[in-house]
Amino acid sequence: MIEDSDLVATDTLGDGDCVVLTFPARGDLVVLARLVASAISSRVGFDIEELEDLRLAVGELCLLALAGSDARHGDLRLEFTVSPESLDISCTLAGAAPATISRSADGDEADELSEQILAALVDEHGREQEDGSVRAWLRKRRKGPLA
Amino acid sequence: MEQEFRIEERVDEGVPVITVVGEIDVATAPQLREALHRVIAEGQSTVVLDMLGVTFLDSTALGVLVGGLKRCRELGGELHIVVADARIRKIFEITGLNKVFPLANALAEVGPQ
Repeated sequence: MIEDSDLVATDTLGDGDCVVLTFPARGDLVVLARLVASAISSRVGFDIEELEDLRLAVGELCLLALAGSDARHGDLRLEFTVSPESLDISCTLAGAAPATISRSADGDEADELSEQILAALVDEHGREQEDGSVRAWLRKRRKGPLA
Repeated sequence: MEQEFRIEERVDEGVPVITVVGEIDVATAPQLREALHRVIAEGQSTVVLDMLGVTFLDSTALGVLVGGLKRCRELGGELHIVVADARIRKIFEITGLNKVFPLANALAEVGPQ
């Protein structure tokens, strides 16, 4: 049974908390990833500048996950994991690159820019291809202990 | 609440000015690309891009701007970008594009008002 106290907002996310967001891999929905990144970043205790950095970085993560794929349909799955040291975010595209998301002729240049942006804004990041899916990830270290 | 994305075009003292408001990302950047390409295809080699109302910019948008700049310079012109927001300017700085684009803080700095 759910107690009232279980439903009280605490305004924070703690060690081990994991938030998962899955949505169709469409360009107009990448904004959802940015919105969730903002909400989580503030609850983890990042300041406004770090929050803006993570909002931008998560968008780039989605774009990088989409960049290496060659299928036609699928979902983007984001996992936000909180630890005492960092906020870790991974973005996986399961078997798909929808025709609706395209960087057109600017694609290669934009991928390079994505890498530059992530390198500047987060502490670690990477991209891996495994079993037909692409996974892009980042780590942003926290300055202090859990709120 | 997020500002709705929109693009407006006008000509000021013979120079085309494209004003963008809202977030330029993978979903909206194609509209900016189309506007830039159309204006340049009409024979304009120098374009002013008013980004004073832009609230977000991602790498897709930057790619579109770089493409537009190349087209302008190939024709002997320039793509002037007007941007004042520190967060947006930061994106140009971390990618080194602040050294590539002529960035202005106000429209008055690039001529047309």
